Amino acid sequence: MKNQVLRKILGRLVRAFSVSFWVMFISFTIIRLTPGDPAAARLGVEAGKAATDALRKQLKLDVNPIQQFFSYTNGLFHGDLGISLQTGRPVLDIVKSTLPVTLTLILLSTAAAVIISIPIGTYIGWSGKSSSVYAFRTLTSIILATPNFFIAMIGILFFSVRVNWAPVFGYTPQFPGNLKYLWLPVAVNTLIMTAVVSRVLSSSVLETKGEEFVETGIIRGVGRLRFFWFYILKPSLAPTVVLLSYMMGTMLGATVILETIFTLPGIGREMIGAVLTSDYPVVQGILLFFGFITVALSFAGDLIAFWLDRRVKI
Amino acid sequence: MNELTRKQRFKNWLALPGGWGIMIGSIMFAAIVIMGILIPIFGPFKPNAFVGDPSMAPSFKHPFGLDQLGRDVMSRTFASVWIDIGVSFFGVTIPLVIGTIIGILLGVTKIKVIRSVVSSIIDGINAFPLLVVAVAMLAFFGAGLKSVIIILSITNWARYARIARTRAVVVSQQNYIEAARTLGYSKSRIVVKHIAPNVSAESVAYALSDFIIVITVISGLSFLGLAARPPAAEWGSMIADGRAYLANGWWMVIFPGLALCWAAISLSFIVEGMSRRDRGNS
Repeated sequence: MKNQVLRKILGRLVRAFSVSFWVMFISFTIIRLTPGDPAAARLGVEAGKAATDALRKQLKLDVNPIQQFFSYTNGLFHGDLGISLQTGRPVLDIVKSTLPVTLTLILLSTAAAVIISIPIGTYIGWSGKSSSVYAFRTLTSIILATPNFFIAMIGILFFSVRVNWAPVFGYTPQFPGNLKYLWLPVAVNTLIMTAVVSRVLSSSVLETKGEEFVETGIIRGVGRLRFFWFYILKPSLAPTVVLLSYMMGTMLGATVILETIFTLPGIGREMIGAVLTSDYPVVQGILLFFGFITVALSFAGDLIAFWLDRRVKI
Repeated sequence: MNELTRKQRFKNWLALPGGWGIMIGSIMFAAIVIMGILIPIFGPFKPNAFVGDPSMAPSFKHPFGLDQLGRDVMSRTFASVWIDIGVSFFGVTIPLVIGTIIGILLGVTKIKVIRSVVSSIIDGINAFPLLVVAVAMLAFFGAGLKSVIIILSITNWARYARIARTRAVVVSQQNYIEAARTLGYSKSRIVVKHIAPNVSAESVAYALSDFIIVITVISGLSFLGLAARPPAAEWGSMIADGRAYLANGWWMVIFPGLALCWAAISLSFIVEGMSRRDRGNS
């Protein structure tokens, strides 16, 4: 039994590593998608041949791809992700300095979404009243169809334009001060995440309600809190946790837009800046990090789901 | 049964689970597409014409107001339908076809190496959030709507391939496929005539919800200035343009945004209705 569990977890770990390899491969190959020569594309036609050749050398495009892939991977293991063409800073430094803002944004939104979703999802699923389920599903599908930048715009219209409760410029990284700048983007993310999470939770609770062990719990007269956790919530949480890890990845992607709107100095806005200035090493490095974080999130999500419910396939 | 009038049959259809959702969603979607055809042809103002004072508030003559350059926001909002819904349509159908074909072949192939290598490539592509990989690829492809369609074709097929592969494995174990094999039909005939039709239903269902994601991604990329570019009328870029004028020109942001929501919500009502019908509850 214990062996089997261990083997499953190991199998999942192997898969995470193999996906990580492809994440690395894709981040590496992406520069070769440029129609023509990336160095010439960045410098423009008026740049001389010498400058173009120098940039090609800097981007290591002058050696053959296989050799280059090995040196790229080797660099990765030593924490070398290349150097920004725009500022000359190492890409790893850029990631290190911008990631905390993004992670704060994501973690605050996730925590808030979980805290709000559990009562809503459980209530809707447990009551199972068709009119409230219908209203709930319609409302959440409207929220989910609305793009985050439009929700953010409405938020700004009410809280930044009319009253200056959520300034969109001049982020300060110190703790209590930064909340003033963070709360609105966090609220936008939370709204979207709550809609998804409470939806899935409510349908799993509805499913759990039909299981025989729930009736057993009622007959045995289990205490209210114990009943709520062991008989309803814990068996229903596995799909929610998997979804939550997936949604955190999606939210990470959405920061590209949200951080641009709210001018937060996070990794998403850094990426847009790099795209607009054709700063290839920065784009590749950030893409790689996005990939790694998503792989790690989905691994963690699957493991927690498996811990909650051994019937889950990982 | 044959005596039922058309009206009664429609009523019965409507009474089935999800009937109202599918109908309201379809009407909403048809409405915006029709407006997208009619307003640019018969409307009094061209989307890129300067027809009045900059930033004029909504009035009877210009129900959605004028933008910062004095262009009619209503004409521009409906002129956007072609870019947003049209480009999204290609952004959905091309990956749908490519991904479903690859997924089916992957589901029926007996060659283990191909199966595991392609499957892990699919997992690798899917590991990135769609928006992020699209933004990154635009850095190398150069911004523009054409690049966006190419990028969606390169990346989004992997999601369809995953769905089709899973389904193809299930379908190829069904009795009717076994029967076709026993009858001695060729392998290609079985795949094309028997497996593909049974796999594609699920992919098409996913395509509908993917439509919402793709509309959001395209308008989001335009919002960032990476897809549709001025002076083209497009919801995302209109919202981005209006952002600086939010304090005294809310209509420049709100109306294109509402049109975008309208399109996405209509699709989500259809998706919701269809999944209710599938589950069979009301």
